[in-house]
Amino acid sequence: MHELPVVMDIIREMDEQASAHGFHKITEIELVIGELSSIVDESVQMYFDVASQNHPCENAKLKFAFEPAMLKCRECGNEFPHEKSFQCPKCGGDAMLVKGSGRSFYIKSFDGE
Amino acid sequence: MKVIIMKELLEANDRLAEENRSYFKENHVLCVNLMGSPGAGKTTLISAIADELQDIQIGVVEGDIASSIDADKLEQKGVHSSQINTCGECHLDANVIRQGAEEIAMKNGIVFVENVGNLICPAEFDLGETVRLLAASVPEGDDKPYKYVPMFSYADVVALTKCDLKEAVGFDTTYFTKGLRAISEAPIYEISLKKGQQREGIKELAAFLRKKYEEV
Ligand SMILES: Nc1nc2c(ncn2[C@@H]2O[C@H](COP(=O)(O)OP(=O)(O)O)[C@@H](O)[C@H]2O)c(=O)[nH]1
Ligand SMILES: [Mg+2]
Ligand SMILES: [Zn+2]
Repeated sequence: MHELPVVMDIIREMDEQASAHGFHKITEIELVIGELSSIVDESVQMYFDVASQNHPCENAKLKFAFEPAMLKCRECGNEFPHEKSFQCPKCGGDAMLVKGSGRSFYIKSFDGE
Repeated sequence: MKVIIMKELLEANDRLAEENRSYFKENHVLCVNLMGSPGAGKTTLISAIADELQDIQIGVVEGDIASSIDADKLEQKGVHSSQINTCGECHLDANVIRQGAEEIAMKNGIVFVENVGNLICPAEFDLGETVRLLAASVPEGDDKPYKYVPMFSYADVVALTKCDLKEAVGFDTTYFTKGLRAISEAPIYEISLKKGQQREGIKELAAFLRKKYEEV
């Protein structure tokens, strides 16, 4: 439920962008969500559907791009995205989280008319 | 026409968190963000640390969904507390922490923020703390670092609480440590604070926090 304030930020940003670009409608918003960001796409969508009413981004399609955390193998140095295991897919060695990876949450782009 | 903006969200909270960080620094306060599941032993831990660090002033900002039981309990012990009821919110953010901190108006000491019991939501929210302390209790299971990667990767120090229950629940410490080490270098303190029993591990954790306080 902590997604509501960030959805409000998205809508505010889109209000500004729409007037800056002379769009009367925002049709699509692309959001990047890191695996470690604790942001849930379904909650974003749910709050957005309600809160965007009567804003230029009402009915805009939300496109979510997920960014996994990256792990680096302690044995062979291989970097790979975290899926289920902390084990290296190449050599089976133990891996370590790449600091800062998977934490992003940002608006990548939008489209309007 | 597609427009690329790369606009960071969560910026507003992060900005307030930085302001809190300077506020704590100016007042010579070490702020410890204490996170963990409901019942992990957070309040018990604060109370035991206060016993160990009698020469340092201890304050608490309690975050709770609705009650003030924990704050009352600590206040009775002489720990200066303020209560923030989140009214159902799942985590504390930088804004409410500032209000709580100003209410107890502490200078020169350690302020614990007992975050809302939750292993998911608080991970994302920087409060302006210096130390992120995660209380993970033995009965929750040895697989938690594998399942709650954001929370465990975010911790600066882990208190493994209720170690007296290890045998009873079949807790595999090696497996727990291996999972944590994949995502974090945080030191682990194994702690036992069962009522009526010899306390274990708390002196070491208190010494770690004392050192952090001296570094402020
Ligand atoms: N056996 C055992 N019980 C503990 C220990 N630490 C706390 N508890 C108990 O666990 C329960 C929850 O503790 P509390 O500190 O209120 O957890 P919080 O919800 O995280 O603040 C209480 O009944 C405590 O007495 C411990 O080291 N061993
Ligand atoms: Mg408590
Ligand atoms: Zn490898």
